[in-house]
Amino acid sequence: MVDFLIKHIWWIPLYGLLGAILTLPWALGLIRETGQRPAAYINLLMTFLSFLHGSIVFLNINQRPSETLDFPWFTIADLHLSFTIEISPISSGALELVTTISLVAQLFALGYMEKDWSLARFYGLMGFFEAALGGIAISDSLLLSYGLLEMLTLSTYLLVGFWYAQPLVVEAARDAFLTKRVGDILLLMGIVALSSYGAGLNFSQLREWAQSHPLSDFTATLVGLALIAGPTGKCAQFPLNLWLDEAMEAPNPASVMRNSIVVCAGAYILIKLQPVFTISRIASDTLIIIGTITAIGASLIALAQIDIKRALSHSTSAYLGLVFIAVGLGHTDIAFLILFSHGVAKALLFLSVGAVIYTTNDQNITEMGGLWSKMPATTLAYMTGSGGIVGLLPLGMLITFSRWFDGRLEVSWWLLSILIVVNFLNALNFTRVFRAVFLGDCQPKTRRAPEVPWPMALPMVSLTIITLIAPLVPLQYNLWLSPNPPILENHNPVVFYAIPLIILSGLAGVVVACFIPLYRGFSRPVQKTLRLLQDLLAYDFYLDRIYKMTVVSLVANISRFTSWCDRYIVDGVVNLVTLMTIFGGNTLRYNTSGQSQFYLLTILMGVTLLIWWVLSSQWQNIINYWSSF
Amino acid sequence: MLSFLIWFPIFAAIIIFLIPGKRGSYFYCFFALSVSLITFVYSLVVAGKFDVSLPAIQLRESFVWLKWLGLTYDLGIDGLSLPLVILNSFLTSIAIYVSKRETERPRFYYALILLLMGSVNGAFLAQNLLLFFLFYEIEIVPLYFLIAVWGGSRRGYAATKFLLYTALSGILILISFLGLVWFSGESTFAFEALKSHSLPVKTQILLLIPLLIGLFIKIPIFPFHTWLPDAHVEASTPISVLLAGVLLKLGTYALLRFGVGLFLQGWVAIAPYLAYIAANSALYGAMCAISQKDMKKVVAFSSIAHMAYVLLAAAATTRLSLQASILQMVSHGLISALLFILVGIVYETTGSRDVDYLRGLLNPQKGLPITGSLMILGVMASAGIPGMIGFISEFLVFRGSFPIFPIPTLLCMVGTGLTAVYFLLMVNKVFFGRLTPELANLPPVSWLDEAPAIIIASLIVLFGLQPHFVTGWSDNEAVILFYGSQETVSTVIPGVSQNSM
Repeated sequence: MVDFLIKHIWWIPLYGLLGAILTLPWALGLIRETGQRPAAYINLLMTFLSFLHGSIVFLNINQRPSETLDFPWFTIADLHLSFTIEISPISSGALELVTTISLVAQLFALGYMEKDWSLARFYGLMGFFEAALGGIAISDSLLLSYGLLEMLTLSTYLLVGFWYAQPLVVEAARDAFLTKRVGDILLLMGIVALSSYGAGLNFSQLREWAQSHPLSDFTATLVGLALIAGPTGKCAQFPLNLWLDEAMEAPNPASVMRNSIVVCAGAYILIKLQPVFTISRIASDTLIIIGTITAIGASLIALAQIDIKRALSHSTSAYLGLVFIAVGLGHTDIAFLILFSHGVAKALLFLSVGAVIYTTNDQNITEMGGLWSKMPATTLAYMTGSGGIVGLLPLGMLITFSRWFDGRLEVSWWLLSILIVVNFLNALNFTRVFRAVFLGDCQPKTRRAPEVPWPMALPMVSLTIITLIAPLVPLQYNLWLSPNPPILENHNPVVFYAIPLIILSGLAGVVVACFIPLYRGFSRPVQKTLRLLQDLLAYDFYLDRIYKMTVVSLVANISRFTSWCDRYIVDGVVNLVTLMTIFGGNTLRYNTSGQSQFYLLTILMGVTLLIWWVLSSQWQNIINYWSSF
Repeated sequence: MLSFLIWFPIFAAIIIFLIPGKRGSYFYCFFALSVSLITFVYSLVVAGKFDVSLPAIQLRESFVWLKWLGLTYDLGIDGLSLPLVILNSFLTSIAIYVSKRETERPRFYYALILLLMGSVNGAFLAQNLLLFFLFYEIEIVPLYFLIAVWGGSRRGYAATKFLLYTALSGILILISFLGLVWFSGESTFAFEALKSHSLPVKTQILLLIPLLIGLFIKIPIFPFHTWLPDAHVEASTPISVLLAGVLLKLGTYALLRFGVGLFLQGWVAIAPYLAYIAANSALYGAMCAISQKDMKKVVAFSSIAHMAYVLLAAAATTRLSLQASILQMVSHGLISALLFILVGIVYETTGSRDVDYLRGLLNPQKGLPITGSLMILGVMASAGIPGMIGFISEFLVFRGSFPIFPIPTLLCMVGTGLTAVYFLLMVNKVFFGRLTPELANLPPVSWLDEAPAIIIASLIVLFGLQPHFVTGWSDNEAVILFYGSQETVSTVIPGVSQNSM
């Protein structure tokens, strides 16, 4: 039985897909009598099934060697395309994370989306989301993963645009789709190039290919950069980071999924592609640079946000930046662990934020306060979630960091300093938000704030418990992805000081956040420099304006210019020819006067011209001929 | 047996003319629909008889028509024409179904559509150059009338433009064909007889250029495309479906059949330029589409962009890219047909195609939710989202062309990215947002009107998941067109692969 379930691990994403398809009659309004609820229950059941199946596989997979299943898709000319499924502890672990978070988010949505008129559509999209994510978790084929990533892009677009009657939502959906699409197209270019240069499209084949690839340095760099672009878009890394912030317009349960596991999907593929990045130094350096810029930049931006969801979503980008750094260094196991620890804790944070938004109908943290006594479960969830992300308490992230610096991997001071900065900034940010939302005096919007009902409280409390036991994973984790890490001598001072320093930075963040003044209501500092700084951070370093002025206006202007050319030049020439023809015809028709003398004259002139033309080059000969007499 | 595909619709068209008495348009519609459905079923029967494993033009029919002219009535079918014949019969049935029940002058209208169907089938099946040319010219006449009589307000201008352009294209093709017969010293226009001749490369290029310009008009490729947006905007929905779905394919079909088939060496010699022309056209079409305000124009310019991929794949002339180009033709036929049908439904119900006026049509109670959902699906298919036929056809086109022409392929991929931009802008404006009060009470669209769109949408998904249903027919096509060389042409003919890497 267990064997059967393990062999059919690929059913798990299909459950989600089936659930999504089964909601169609409700989502399209074919069934109206029952209301929208049954669709939600069907999806929950399907997700529970996949969770159950996934859990059984997950618990029994440790003893087995990893294997792959090959499903040939089709063959055309000399190209064989197949989908490969990987059955390994890593893939089943990733799948388990996906199904758990998805189950929790969908259960939470039962309460959160209760009053929404298109519950069925929402659950359908969530099922679709889950299917695509689950597929990515077990996929061992780059092509399949690419396809699933695109499905994610599509469902992100539809989920962000879920409340499509609001203008901000429409813009957010558009930006999310187009930003990710930029990354995806570049990724597709990379895939086409890889496939053309003789690499197979399975991750294992790519690993072998990367060791003896035929490419020049320049091409290898280009391929590497193209492959990075896709995950950069998916993981909301600089310079494709803004969509995640805007995507917070989506319903909160979707934000739970997006901030915890959807962003991971891109990073997961990045981890799998890591061997390819070794072929180009520039590519792996780019990963580290992108990761560093995003990790620090996004943490800074988060500090100035007053929208509760946006304040947290930027920190998602920041932690994914750490994943990029880890992949760039080749520390794929650490990357995987950061994804895991961050995913669980961030999902919990977003659940608690969802509970706050549900109760107060507000997302502005300057209008909140004093919720701790009214919503204890939510407060606890927030504390646990932020504890799991910040390296201060012995929860997921700290244990992960300690695995990073346990002396088995090559680490250096700059890495530690980045971690310290990121840890400090995020501790500061989480504490700031905590103080604003949960501590202090009640404000009008938080005065009547009951704890959320059980469909929301139950998943929140369960995930709190899961987050508390999550540190077991990094503790127990075998280095599956890179089984032979470079082991250092233990004299490295970085290794000795790393964990105390990280804890210290977390503590410093908390302490500083406790003493900075918090302004209620919309406020801007009086000091000019401080105000400039706050604006700079609050408006995401003005990145969106820079894009509007550069890329967007460039495309818009070229397009306007092209269409103008099309209308007036390309088509204009055609119409000019037509006009001239008509004009010529209209003019020439006056020749047909009916007078035979005129016709005769015309013929005479024509014949003369013809003779002149025929003889024109012969004059010299003719003159010579006559002069010889 | 192939003659049936041509003459049955044409005879049916004549019969429609001859049926005495005045009947309602419903009768003619039903009659034409049954004729086209029978033809469609028959084309499937032909597909059943077609032997995929045989690398040859099959089910030949031939008799000498005018010997002194070298004109033989010679029909045959292979992996290139079979999918297109089925597509033609299928989309004609859809177009007849979509036609408004209360068309003016129904007798004339349906007769013309059937005539169009028969002549297009004839062009796909003809194995004699002159016969192809005849059908190619015949097809212009019904289409001209279909635009000029049942079109929009500027139909006269659009139809005349179409007629002049296409007539010019026919003349150029004829020049090339005549030149080929002249230079090769044959006394016949038969495809295979001419194929066995190998002219010097320079002569081939000389003959290829008028042929290419003629076909670029038909496909259409920048800068010969300006008739297309006008024709689409003025044509009624079913005619747009046929125009984009089938008639543009005549150009790319001839490109492969005659351009690649008859002038292979010349083709390969100028292929690098063709690839850049294709990339240019793809980007140009996409760029123009971004700033269009009329939904039909957006789809029309996207047609220009997507048909350019066929040229790109044809230019690469590898086995893979050849099959990919056929798949791309089918893919574009289905997707553009779907989009035009949906734009037609929006226009019927709201009376407008202006993206600045329409808003919030996805509204489930008062809007067009099903149309909107199908539109999102169609748009995503066109933008190349996996799971639908648009992705796999474009992927194969790019994968097939990249080893030969990396830079034009990358440029075309940028064009694919831009597809998402213009279609997303359109969908966002038209279907998202709040329904405006003027649009608040739209008549509901019945299932019968949505049915063709749903059928095409399911085919798009089906072929997206199982592309070999389409590509399977053309497994041996490379052998037929490249004349026996199993490998890619680039490896057979040096000079192309060298300047590519």
